[in-house]
Amino acid sequence: MGQNYLDNGWISILITLFMVTVVLFNILRAHGVKDLFIRRIAGLNAIDEAVGRATEMGRPVLMVPGLTDTAVNAKTMQAINIFAHVSRIAARFANPILVCCYNASTFTVAQEIIRDVYQEEGLIDRYDVDSVRFISDRQFAFAAGVAGLILREQAAATFFMGEFYAESLILAETANSVGAIQVASSTELTQTPFFIAACDYVLIGDEFYAASAFLTRQPVLVGSLIGQDWCKLAIAWLIVMGVVSNSIQLKGGSSNKVTQAWKEGKVDQLKKPRPFNMGDTTMSRWLNPDPAKDIKIERPKLSPDEMPPKGSGGDN
Amino acid sequence: MELLAQLAPKTFWNAQNGSGELFIKIILGLLVSTGIVVALFKTPNQLRRWVITAVTFFSGLFYVLFWIYPTPINRQPDEAPRNVLEGFSFWLSDAQPVVADLTNIIAAFLIGLGIYSLLRVHLGRIGKQQRDWQFSVVLIAGMVIMVIFGYVDWYMRLDPANAKMAGSGYVGWTFWQFGRDLLFNGLLQNMDAGMFSIVAFYILSAAYRAFRARSVEATILLVTALIVMLSLMGLIEYFWAQGVDGMHLSNNFKLDNVARWLRANVQTPAIRGIDFGVGIGLLSMGVRLWLNLEKTGGSN
Repeated sequence: MGQNYLDNGWISILITLFMVTVVLFNILRAHGVKDLFIRRIAGLNAIDEAVGRATEMGRPVLMVPGLTDTAVNAKTMQAINIFAHVSRIAARFANPILVCCYNASTFTVAQEIIRDVYQEEGLIDRYDVDSVRFISDRQFAFAAGVAGLILREQAAATFFMGEFYAESLILAETANSVGAIQVASSTELTQTPFFIAACDYVLIGDEFYAASAFLTRQPVLVGSLIGQDWCKLAIAWLIVMGVVSNSIQLKGGSSNKVTQAWKEGKVDQLKKPRPFNMGDTTMSRWLNPDPAKDIKIERPKLSPDEMPPKGSGGDN
Repeated sequence: MELLAQLAPKTFWNAQNGSGELFIKIILGLLVSTGIVVALFKTPNQLRRWVITAVTFFSGLFYVLFWIYPTPINRQPDEAPRNVLEGFSFWLSDAQPVVADLTNIIAAFLIGLGIYSLLRVHLGRIGKQQRDWQFSVVLIAGMVIMVIFGYVDWYMRLDPANAKMAGSGYVGWTFWQFGRDLLFNGLLQNMDAGMFSIVAFYILSAAYRAFRARSVEATILLVTALIVMLSLMGLIEYFWAQGVDGMHLSNNFKLDNVARWLRANVQTPAIRGIDFGVGIGLLSMGVRLWLNLEKTGGSN
C-alpha cells in the first residue's frame, strides 16, 4: 500500500494531521484557561456602532454571506455565525435586518440560524420571515437584486462576508452611495482590495475566521484560534528550514549532482552532469511529489460476469 | 442519459442498465431516504440534534478517508483489488461520485425552498401594491416564462430527430427554441454583461476615494499604486527608462523594475502570508464543524 502514497504526497497529509492535532489540543487546553488574550479587531468592534446607527436612523441592516457555488461550506457557515451575532444585537434594538442569500442551501441554513437567534433572545415576535431572502443563484442577477434592495431600503449598515467575486465592488459602492456604514471581508484575496477601497472596515485574511472567537469568547473558539497561531508559527519555521536546507543543497553543487544521479540509477547522467536545480532539493521533492505514472501493479482480473456486457449501458 | 447507478465497471454502487438489480437498488434507495426523512420528523428535538451531528460526522469522515486513504494507482476497469486494504480504497473511489451526486440531489431539493421564498416576497409585494411592485411582476413573469421555454426546449431536444437543434436555421428550430434563445442569449446574458461592465466605473470611483493621502498607510498605497500603474503605461515607462538608462545603479529604478520588485518582494509574500492564515482558519473551522465542537449561531 505504501507505494500508493507516492501519488498523493504523504508530506501534505502529515502536515495537515499535525495542524489538526495542534488545533484540537488547544481547544482542549482552552477549557481550563480563563481570559485568553485576543487582539482588538476594528471591524468587529464596529458591529455595535453600525447596528446602533441603523437603529437611530430607523433603517435596516443588510447582510450578504457570500456567493458560494456549491452547497453550504465552512466559509458560508462562518459568515452566518457572524451574522447571527449581528442579528442578536439587531433583535435587541428591534432593528430590521435583511440577509440576502445566493443559493437555496445557504438560504435554508441562514433562515434556521437567524430564527434560532431570535428565539434564544425571547424575541421571536420581532422575527420577520422575509428578512432572510433567496435572491438569485446567478452572479450578476444577485448583484442587481442586492443593489436594488440597498437602494430601495436605504440600508444604514451593510455586512459583506464570505466568498465574493467580481460583484464585490458593485455591492460595496452601491452601499457607499446610500451612506451605509460597511463592514466587509472576502476569503477571495483578489476582492479584498476592492473592499478596502470601498468599505469602512475590512477583516483581512484569517481575521474573518477569528471573528467568532472575538465576538463570543467561547473557549472552543478561542482555543482553536490559539491553535491556528501555533500552526502559523510552525509554517513560518518550516519556511525558514526550507530556505536554509535549499541554500545548503544548492550551494553543494556538483557533489549533490553526482549523488542524486546515483540514487536515481541514472548512470548516463554521470557522464554528462546536469546542473542541480531547485526541483532537486529535498524540500521541493517533499512538497511536489511525482505522480507515480510508471508504476505497474498486477491485480486479479474481474470475471466476465462481473463486467457489464458491451453496449448494454455501461458509462452510456 | 447518465443515471446515478449505471457507470462501469460493476461495483456495489451501480448495476446494469435496465436490469432488475438496478431497479431494486433505486427502490431501496428511495425507501431508505424516505425512511430517514420520516424518522427525522418523528424524532424529538434533542435527539434530532444528535442525529444531525452523527450524519455530519460520517459525511465528513467519508471525505477525510477519501483524501487520506491511498488511492489505487493505475486502476483498470476490469481489475479486482488484491487484498482487503486495497478493496477499501476501491470502495472509496467507487463511492465518491455517488456521494457527490447525493449532495447535489439534496441541494436540488432546497431550490424549491428558495423559489418559495422568492414567490412569497414578491407576490406579497404585488398583492399589497407596495413601492416598485411592478418590478416584482417583471421578476415573476420572467421566471415563469424562462422555466416554460427552457423546459419545452429541453424536452424537444430529448428527441433524437431534433439533435441538431444547436443554432437557428436548423431543421426543427421552432418557436420554442427561438423563444429560449431570445430570453437566455438575447436578454439574460446581455444583462449579465451590462452589470459586469458597471464594475469599471465603480473601480474608478472607489480608487478616487482610496488613493487620497489621508494617513501613512494610504500614502504608501497611493505611491505603490502610482508606480505600478505608470509602469503599465508604455510611453511614460519608455521616457522614464531613457532618463535612467546607462547609469548602473539607477537602472534598478526603471519603472518596470521597481514595479516587478514590488510585485515579487512585497505583494506576493504578503498574499502568501494571508493565504496561509486563511487556509489554516478554514481547516480549523472545518474540523470544528465536522466534530460538532462549535455552537452555530454565535451565542454569547
